[in-house]
Parts: sequence; C-alpha cells; structure tokens
Amino acid sequence: MSAIDELCSELAKLPGIGRKTATRLTYFLLKQPPDEVVRLAAAIRSVSERIRPCSVCGNLGETDPCLICEDPRRDKELLCVVEEASDIGAIERTGEYRGLYHVLGGHLSPLDGIGPEDLRIEGLRARVANGCEVREVILATNPSMEGEVTATYVRGVLENAGVQVTRIALGLPVGGDLEYADGVTIAQALAARREMPR
Amino acid sequence: MAGPSSLRGRQSFARVDFGQRPGEVPARVCFHMALVTTAAVVLHAFKYSESSKIVRLATEDVGVQSAVAKGAMRPKSKFGARLQVLSGGVAEMYMKPNRDLHTLAAFDVTRQRSELAGDVERYVTATALAELILRLAPAEPNPTVYHYLVAMLDDLVAVDRVNLEPFGLAALWGAVGILGFAPALDGCACDGRRLPDGAAKFSIADGGFLCQTCAATSTSATTLQKQDRQTLEKLVSGNIDDIAPIPPRHAAAHRRLIVRFAECHMNEDLELKALSMWERMWSDT
Ligand SMILES: [Zn+2]
Ligand SMILES: [Zn+2]
Repeated sequence: MSAIDELCSELAKLPGIGRKTATRLTYFLLKQPPDEVVRLAAAIRSVSERIRPCSVCGNLGETDPCLICEDPRRDKELLCVVEEASDIGAIERTGEYRGLYHVLGGHLSPLDGIGPEDLRIEGLRARVANGCEVREVILATNPSMEGEVTATYVRGVLENAGVQVTRIALGLPVGGDLEYADGVTIAQALAARREMPR
Repeated sequence: MAGPSSLRGRQSFARVDFGQRPGEVPARVCFHMALVTTAAVVLHAFKYSESSKIVRLATEDVGVQSAVAKGAMRPKSKFGARLQVLSGGVAEMYMKPNRDLHTLAAFDVTRQRSELAGDVERYVTATALAELILRLAPAEPNPTVYHYLVAMLDDLVAVDRVNLEPFGLAALWGAVGILGFAPALDGCACDGRRLPDGAAKFSIADGGFLCQTCAATSTSATTLQKQDRQTLEKLVSGNIDDIAPIPPRHAAAHRRLIVRFAECHMNEDLELKALSMWERMWSDT
C-alpha cells in the first residue's frame, strides 16, 4: 500500500469521514508546509501517549487522578454522572457546577449488546458506598430513551446507598421558540414544570 | 397506535424525477423515488456520519425498512427528539426501489412510550421484541407484524410488574409465531403424528415437539415435563392469565428455549443481543 493510500484509509476510519473526504484531506495535507504536517502528527501522537482515563472518575486527562478529582476546591458531596468524558467539558463550560463527576462510558443499549457490565457502574457503586462524602448523585445522562433507561438503572443501583439521587431537568432550550419545539420536548417540559419562585 | 387513516399508505411520486418532462412515462422506474407515508415504530436508531441517524422502522405498509434521517443529530433538526427507540408515529420516507437505505423526510410521533424507560426490565423486554422483528421479519409488507408489535408495546407499558416475565415470554413466542416460525405443539414437528399428553421431547432444530419415533433419532431434543409443556403451550397461545407462577429454574429454561429457538430460525448468523440480555437479566434481579 502506498503512503497516500495508507493515510487515506486511516483517515477514513474517523467518525463522519468517508473515503472521499479522506482523500481530500490527504491531498490537502500534501500541499501544506512539511513542518505543519509534522506538528499535526506530533499532536496526534502526544494525545495518544499522554491522555488517559482517570481511574477515579473516568474523565480524560494527563494526570491520574484527573485535575477535577484532585482539585481541593471541588464540592465532594456532589457527584454528577455522565455518559461520556466529553459531557464533562460541556458542563464545565457553564461554570455553574462545582462538584465531582463519574463517567459511565456510554449508555445501556440492549440492541447494541451494551449492558450494565459494560458501563463503569461498579466504580460508581464503590464511590458512593457508605462512609463516603457523597451526599447527592445527579444523573446527567442524555435525554434519550437509552439515557433515560440508564438513569433508571443507576437509580436502582444506588437505592440503598443512602444518597439523594436527582435527575437533570428535561425541557425546552433557552432562547428557543415554543411554536417550533417538537411535541415530545414540550410534553417533557410540561411534566417537569415547577412552581415559580416569588 | 396507527396514524390517521387518511395518511396511511399514501404514496406519491416525489419531485425527484431525473430528466423527465411532466406527464412523461418514466423510461426506467429505478430512477424514481416514491414518497411513502406510513405508520411506523422505531426499532433501532444509531448515529450515522457526523450529524445524521439511521433508523430501522417497522412500518404498517412497507415492512421493516431502514432510512437515513439527515441532520437528525443537529440541535435544530426538524426531527428533534422524535427518533427515539420504540416511539410510534407517522413516517414519511422517500423510497428508492431495490435499495436498502431510504431517506426519512419526516417522523411525527403519536406515541413515545417513554414510560418504558422508567423500568429497566420492561425496556429490555421491549427491545428484545423489537430485535426479533428486526431480525426475523421478511422485507415484504406485513401489517400483521406491525399491529402485533404496537399492541405488545402498549400492553408492555401497562402489564403488572408480577406478570412481566411471563408476559415477555408470551410476547416473544407470539412474535415468533406471527413471523412464521411457530413451534409444532400438537403434532410431531417431523411427521405430524399426534402427540400423547404428558412429557415430550422438544427439538429446537426441528421446530417443535417430536413423537417417540422421531425423538429416538434426534440428537438435540430435550425433554419437557408435563407442566413445562403446558406452560409452553399457554405462552405460545399468548394465554398468560391462567399460567401458574413459573418457578425461577423453570422460567430460566423457558427463557433459554425461546432465545435458542429464535437464534436457530434466523437466516443470518447474527447474535440476538437484546434477546440474550433479556434472558440474563432476570437471573440478575
Ligand atoms: Zn477524575
Ligand atoms: Zn415424528
């Protein structure tokens, strides 16, 4: 296999990149100054060598435990359960949450053969075991059927753990327009309505 | 629940006519896409490329079909939260003849079944049923299969927790039957000879109970005691009201039986993942 074909087939393995795009990217790279291409290769190599999952929470970072787990200013009584490490970034960007995280590594999906044993649920059970500091577990799995059933499963696992289990609210997007929202979302928003504070 | 009857099965030719003048008869029908509107249930949905989803639909009018919902993962997609597994609604699809993957134009949810996600066992049972239909249903239109699926999903939401396991067994056997693989219960699966009451040998490969003569030469048949045979007959007929509670060990054997039976009668050599999760789940709880 030629070097060009090799790069094409590696790029084509990436999500959202088909054979055509892979070929286009390969020829784009060939037209770039060599030092830029080398920089890209080095960045890919350093990500693969330096980034690893945190053995405590499953977050991805250069240290183990990760910077969030090690941060003494974080509220250790709050634990937010998410499906993927990338969800942590989304929550962190809000700057509104000061607790810790737990990454499940996916959601329950029987049709894809993903069951509880494929998720980091035992690790969660251990973190919330009696005698720990956690007071509330926030289930922040995706608002999809699979995310919902995963939240249901985790709630069951934590039933006798002596912690409060909460679910993030599901409903209308801020800045959205009721008229254009789909019926399913409006129904969820109505079901999750709350009293307006005075 | 089916969509409005005026919409059901409505077909029209799409605007996608390649090089054809109005009124002209198409020279090659394969260049045509038909817009089909049909009631449907989402059996499976997964990400496809960066922003789209592929959905597998059980439809009332055009059988089990796959369609790509372009841009479904984008925050402002017209599909919004609609394409959830087990949701029922009215699908509009551009269908190309002789193609496996069509294009979903719209999906209007009429029944979301989010209640199923509030109970893991109910949910897994529902996905096992969806999987059976996904893997065993023929490509041809089969409204009976669609209506059976809808009825079972709706009953599954409502069934009493204590009856959930026998209900699941009956629903799965019922699906196997409706898909054309019903096991032989009254007569021998090999030669049709009538079977006496009581314990009998059941052969998954032969598709049912065997008479003594056939059982003698079968290497894979297992004995079902009288009680288990009666339970199986009731499960296959969907009659779970007068089933005595199935003791756990027997229930496990019944679960194993339906899973092996379904696996054996599948055309492709694919693992039935949801079904095997359903089988294991009850021993965990
Ligand atoms: Zn960590
Ligand atoms: Zn016989």
